[in-house]
Amino acid sequence: MRALLFAMAVILTGCATKQLEKPDLTAFNAAKPRSILVVPAANRSLDVDAPNYLLTTLTVPLAEKGYYVFPVHTAKTVLEQEGFFDGDQVQKQSPEMLAQLFGADAVLFVTINRWDAQYAVLATTVTVDFDYRLVYKDGTEIWKANKKMQYSPQQQNTGNPVANLIAAALTAALERAKPNYMPLAQMANVQVLMGEPTAIPNGPYRTVN
Amino acid sequence: MRLFYATLCALVLTGCAAPKGMYEWGGYDAMLYGSYKDPTTVAANMQKLELHIQKLEQGKQKVPPGLYADLGTMYLQAGDKQKAKANFMKEREAWPESTGLMDALINNGTVPKASEVKS
Repeated sequence: MRALLFAMAVILTGCATKQLEKPDLTAFNAAKPRSILVVPAANRSLDVDAPNYLLTTLTVPLAEKGYYVFPVHTAKTVLEQEGFFDGDQVQKQSPEMLAQLFGADAVLFVTINRWDAQYAVLATTVTVDFDYRLVYKDGTEIWKANKKMQYSPQQQNTGNPVANLIAAALTAALERAKPNYMPLAQMANVQVLMGEPTAIPNGPYRTVN
Repeated sequence: MRLFYATLCALVLTGCAAPKGMYEWGGYDAMLYGSYKDPTTVAANMQKLELHIQKLEQGKQKVPPGLYADLGTMYLQAGDKQKAKANFMKEREAWPESTGLMDALINNGTVPKASEVKS
């Protein structure tokens, strides 16, 4: 019996994530937003496609947290009709105006700090780095966070040093031709929005744990 | 007693796992990504999204936020106003939070100008 309890304790400890400091969620909990508008991101990276690609990765984690997420492609199209063709322009608009235009409770602003691949001879490191800011329709900032993710393809060990070198060079060449940022961007969003300590509280539609 | 512990352990272990998804997305994010990356795939992606929505409707499952509306916008961009409107109406019915935006899209085919919105 004692062994069982001990096993339970181990399992429970295994569940807990590292106790880092939680952000202050007082304003978030007071605001209780139901719906979130995701606007195109401001881009400080050199990849002009990054904001469009990032836009496609935010709906799923926010909706799974229990919020109504405004259709991102529709919102982007509407903003373009308003003359806002890039995220940098959109982010200069007042959150109050944007929220009112769409009837949203809160607006998520993301700045892309990094979206790049650093090429070395034998390996490539792909990096994404985002600043997130959620603002309530009255202009109050209710949550903010930063997330950086990096990925270096694992080199295959063939047991033969020369074959290893060729494999690594091949991997680097493939990554160079077409680095895939999407899994990294998805992981960054899921971790920052759903993982502790930065997770946002559950929204009204979240019914399962 | 043993059963109790076994159940508790099972519960704890389930609790450990990544949060369960509430929705069937059917690759909605990948379809949008594909359409941005290669605009020649838009029509094929619209068809996939349409089929996924039909499958959810037939199975009486909730269609996740934004799927009807983004499909509607794609129809609008393809020049099919009727199908666009039908999808905007379904989004509004499924998700009351979208009412303001969907009304604007249904009535005007666009939204009010920013300059017309008091801030």
